Amino acid sequence: MNLNYRQFRYETGESMKMALFQIRANKTRSFLTALGVIIGIVAITMMGTAINGIDLGFEKSLAMIGYDVIYVQKSSWSTMGQWWKYRNRPDIRTDYAVQINRTIADTPRSELVVAVPQMSTFQASARYRDRLLQQVFSLGTNQDYPLTASGDLSEGRFFTPQESAAGDMVCVIGDDIATGLFPHEPSIGKAIRLKNSNIRVIGVFRKQGKFLGLFSFDNQLVMPLGAFEKIYGKSPFVSIRIKIRDQKRSSQANEEITGLMRRIRRLSPSQENDFAVNEQMAFKSQLDPIKNGIAVAGIFITGMSLFVGAIGIMNITFVSVKERTREIGLRKALGARRRTILLQFLIESVMICMIGGLIGLVTSVSITFAIRFIMPDFPVRFSPMLVLASLAVSVITGVVSGLAPAVTASKLDPATSLRYE
Amino acid sequence: MPTRSIITMQSLSKLYEMGDQVVKALDSINLDFRLNDYAAIMGPSGSGKSTLMNIIGCLDTPTSGNYELNGQQVAKMDDDELARIRNREIGFVFQTFNLLPRLNCLRNVELPLIYAGVAPEEREERAKEALIRVGLGDRITHKPAELSGGQIQRVAIARALINKPSIILADEPTGNLDTATSHEIMKIFGELSEAGNTIILITHEEDIARFTSRIIRLRDGKIESDTRQ
Repeated sequence: MNLNYRQFRYETGESMKMALFQIRANKTRSFLTALGVIIGIVAITMMGTAINGIDLGFEKSLAMIGYDVIYVQKSSWSTMGQWWKYRNRPDIRTDYAVQINRTIADTPRSELVVAVPQMSTFQASARYRDRLLQQVFSLGTNQDYPLTASGDLSEGRFFTPQESAAGDMVCVIGDDIATGLFPHEPSIGKAIRLKNSNIRVIGVFRKQGKFLGLFSFDNQLVMPLGAFEKIYGKSPFVSIRIKIRDQKRSSQANEEITGLMRRIRRLSPSQENDFAVNEQMAFKSQLDPIKNGIAVAGIFITGMSLFVGAIGIMNITFVSVKERTREIGLRKALGARRRTILLQFLIESVMICMIGGLIGLVTSVSITFAIRFIMPDFPVRFSPMLVLASLAVSVITGVVSGLAPAVTASKLDPATSLRYE
Repeated sequence: MPTRSIITMQSLSKLYEMGDQVVKALDSINLDFRLNDYAAIMGPSGSGKSTLMNIIGCLDTPTSGNYELNGQQVAKMDDDELARIRNREIGFVFQTFNLLPRLNCLRNVELPLIYAGVAPEEREERAKEALIRVGLGDRITHKPAELSGGQIQRVAIARALINKPSIILADEPTGNLDTATSHEIMKIFGELSEAGNTIILITHEEDIARFTSRIIRLRDGKIESDTRQ
């Protein structure tokens, strides 16, 4: 037993040395062989990074709308695009918020905390002296808005209940508006021109980034409802933002607010809802199929490239066995057993695959960093699980592709191999 | 003084099937080698001497008959048992030297010890000793490509000696060497024989066979003559 173990140890050490010799002696060939694995591993890790990145970007974006906020709106997020379903619904009115808040106050164990009205423009522009910003998103709300939004202020303050009630011409602006209109000067206290009115800046939101890469929270311009109506008149884009007590019980909250809204709308039990209650789960359910699709396509592409790589390695190992028939014969004559030879060739192909895997990993880590450097907003994330997974895949590829040639080598007849020219 | 037999072969035959023809490479051979024999096996090509060498060297097994090597029945052994016998009992020297070109002399010589499970320090020690014994103590770290034919064959002899085998089996060891170098190699074999080793040479050169003390001539798979001098 002891002798067997020693033999195994020394033989394995010898095989590893020989494998390194062999790889170093045939650098070009080894590299071309490993290329299949390199491409496969890059594909796997980039795929994993992309999926992780989608998750990450999604989490970031969800944090922006708030995990504990649900929205009462005219149309539903999860069936966006089916406008004909929603066209004939009555508009949501800002005073619903008042009614909802009254009910919350009267309900002792309500899942809801506070309702905040929000009226917005589809698109607006803002001007300061000769600077003009298109694509500004104007929003009228009340003093409770910060309870339902994730944005902190980097400067100034939010408007007070008094300002809100009076509809004072004051606003809090997103970071992009602040840097766009006031690149070299403080923005607090300046008057921005919106349509035909002037409005004073009293606060600036901290930079937040884009929501799912589509919609920026940094070009928001938040003002009291009264001010909004003075500037834009009544807008049909109204939502009620509702903060809930516990995001784990969002479905109960959802039921509660649905019941509340039905009462407000005076719907009879047979009538369908003529409003929508939206929460971030709707996005998740839309995103999951996309993620799965990417994963399936990714596994397929990755599998193909690894398969091709494995065939390449098998081929090269067969050639290597053929070339080294004499060496195999000699080793057998000197006392190498079948498993010694088997192991030697397996170690060689596994080593090539491992090196390929490592090169692949380094390549995709570099690509990840390059992406992060060039496009900081693009969500990518590299995980240690990916490193382990790709190394495991490399080893498995090495074993699978090296097995057949290694078995062939181990079964060679020593007498004829020694005479092989 | 009768010495003990190290190899005993009884009615040993080896058949090859060539298509629908059966060729008798060895035909009921009875042969004995005693400890410290220094023998040459001779014969024209096709006489069966390579087949005999493969069987003596445990690279191949006979179709029928008995082969006992150092007290062990070899004829019915499987691949891995044969590998162990080759490792322990036989030191090979080949016509084409068969050194691994990437390894230096020391690493080439210690190769059989790796398969025997000998520890690295001891391997190196013994490999050095063997190289010194064949007069290459100053060439330890050279690679085969940096050596002459005679030197390469001496490295191969050192490798054959390293595991203290029962027999040294040399297949045309001078076949690729010039006359002067051949005689140099034969001198080493002579010294090894005097030191008590059992040596079996396969050759077709008369003047090489003349260095040995026993000449076995094969013809058509049978022993034609077996003379001691």
